[in-house]
Amino acid sequence: MSAATETKTEANTKTVENATCTFCGCLCDDMVLTVDVDAHKITKAKNACVLGKALFLSHEEEDRPFALIDGKPATLKEGVEEAAQILTNARFPMFYGMSDTTCEAQRQNVALVDMVGGTIDSTTSVCHGPTGMALQGVGESTATLGEIKNRADLVIYWGGNPAESLPRHFARYAVTAKGMYTPRRKKDRTIVNVDVRRTKSTPVADIFIQVKIGADFELLWALRALVKGRKVAPDIEKRTGVSLETMQDLVERMKNCRYGVLFFGMGLSMTRGRHFNAAAILSLASDLNEYTHFIATPMRGHGNVSGADMVVSWQTGYPFAVNFSRGYPKFNPGEFTATDMFARGDADAGLILAADPGSNFSQYAIDHMKKIPMIVLDPKLTHTAKLAKVAITTSHYGINTGGTAYRSDGVPIELRPCLESKYPSDEEVIRAIYKRVEQLLKAKKKTKSANNKRRKAA
Amino acid sequence: MSLKLTLKKKPSVPVEAESICPDVMEGLDLKQIAALPLHHGNEQVTVGDFFKVTGKSNGEIRLEGDTSRFKMVGDSMSRGRILIKGSIGQHVGVHMSGGEIIVAKNASDWVGPEMSGGRIIVKGNAGHMVGCAYRGGQVGVTGGEIIVHGNAGNEIGNTMRDGLIAIGGNSGDFTGVGMLAGTVIVLGKMGWRNGAAMKRGTIVSMEDAEMLPTFTYACSYRPNFLRLYLRHLRDAGLPIKDAWINGSYHRWSGDSIALNRGEALIFDR
Repeated sequence: MSAATETKTEANTKTVENATCTFCGCLCDDMVLTVDVDAHKITKAKNACVLGKALFLSHEEEDRPFALIDGKPATLKEGVEEAAQILTNARFPMFYGMSDTTCEAQRQNVALVDMVGGTIDSTTSVCHGPTGMALQGVGESTATLGEIKNRADLVIYWGGNPAESLPRHFARYAVTAKGMYTPRRKKDRTIVNVDVRRTKSTPVADIFIQVKIGADFELLWALRALVKGRKVAPDIEKRTGVSLETMQDLVERMKNCRYGVLFFGMGLSMTRGRHFNAAAILSLASDLNEYTHFIATPMRGHGNVSGADMVVSWQTGYPFAVNFSRGYPKFNPGEFTATDMFARGDADAGLILAADPGSNFSQYAIDHMKKIPMIVLDPKLTHTAKLAKVAITTSHYGINTGGTAYRSDGVPIELRPCLESKYPSDEEVIRAIYKRVEQLLKAKKKTKSANNKRRKAA
Repeated sequence: MSLKLTLKKKPSVPVEAESICPDVMEGLDLKQIAALPLHHGNEQVTVGDFFKVTGKSNGEIRLEGDTSRFKMVGDSMSRGRILIKGSIGQHVGVHMSGGEIIVAKNASDWVGPEMSGGRIIVKGNAGHMVGCAYRGGQVGVTGGEIIVHGNAGNEIGNTMRDGLIAIGGNSGDFTGVGMLAGTVIVLGKMGWRNGAAMKRGTIVSMEDAEMLPTFTYACSYRPNFLRLYLRHLRDAGLPIKDAWINGSYHRWSGDSIALNRGEALIFDR
């Protein structure tokens, strides 16, 4: 990883080398961006995939008010004041999102939730949250993508479609990348794809295994049994759609490879069985370490969703669904996860940082969000921003704002912004809200103790 | 005459109410009880703010009104009795070691998590995670009884080590997952993947159930112990048919991935 360099050329353009793309969890940090400084536009994004190009080349700063209160334009200061008032008066506020912002902003967000005694959850809870719960229960055998690139000779993609969601995963890390011990690229690797249907990722695979919908757990469980030398009834094909011979062949390949990887996606973590599906695949990798080196690692979607797990973990001890009502952190997915808290009607206020639950949560949850005062920080006018009481416009992380983000394998990568923005960063806004809430809480405490004294005297 | 707590106003957000427990309230006068703390979201309030307190503290507490937003009622309870006239929120009877809780309507998720003794009866339905371990915990229920007359959700008896959980209706997926010992009886139909990773223990169902590929069929027989259990449940008010008491059961052993000492007994029609 070499340092970023900026070069100004004659036509008033500048190039930013080694820029980091924040579209997906791959966080490719080898973009070369050409910026037309006068037009305030990115004109070229070399090395970017189709998703990265879409992110950088179509980036345009919309001329929006700094804040909207009840849909009416307001200044940033008014927006921050209103947000601080909402949070000070809330008894059970929900802080959600954080997948598309920097670790620095996430850290401030945790400090804020701690101070107001709210609940914090990230978009992890609707993607690989179950994986977090699973690895708490069964542990994980893991590695960085760099190690995988250099060593893995058996790569299994299970329940995910990286060709469309993480387009450079194959070329940079796991299929056609040239590694230290895999110099002949794809010829030195066997690629297996397990999924409920053929996807754009299937053609890259040497072996495609089609599992029946809702039978991933049974298939993983049968593979675990075979790895452990237990008997599996031949009628397993009826339940899983995969024959016992195919399973035995896969098990032999897994046991006899030099270094195996199980990449798994939301096809496991967000289908029936959730954390047990993730636990099954993590346990399968652990079981295989009796024979060879095997790892299992989730494929993460949003740019810095891994960062949200990391930051919330090192600040509270738990990765997501953490409640501070009693002053200390309590972890309980199902009770403190955003979608459940909104759907049950528990939360009495919400702060959504860089996410759009209004477009993908259940109708019950969205209906409740409409009833309570919501604060949204986002560069765009999202579905959630439209139903919010306070919507504050922030700059775009990775393009306008620098900082740190975590790649899907837990490697921190620096962001290299290329355009200035008139809007503040998420971190600046959260800091401003924090400062104001701190003042308001102090005043509230003072009034409360004065009232108590008066009551006692009376 | 027992202690009566009548709900005055519904809370706007969930309340953590571990003070509502015979161990805490026993021996206190009404004024002291009304001053006990409750946690209304991030704010500390008192029992008196939400409840009208009447009667006399003698080890029995009656909760009246819609208490479906009150969590952790009967936390670490070791004796006495709580009668809940309406529905109750999450974590009822958490870490309970003795006494009895009777819920007249429904209970939310986490009924009696990590309890070690006593009895919880839910006359309506229960949510997910009845008699389970909390996330990250290795051992769930280590004793006592949970009887749910209606249906229950997923992960009933997750990693339980001892005790009895009976569900009068249907149960969700992963019933008895990771059981270490103990008994789960479901009179209705179970969901998918029951007994996954169980080491020992017994799961009983009166309806057909699909078994995981790591369970093997052993035999069909009439287990003596089950007659005693079913009679006990009949006394506790569950509608146990004579055919179940006298009938035979298919025995499946598993989970072979774990210790393979567990069993699933499926009623043989």
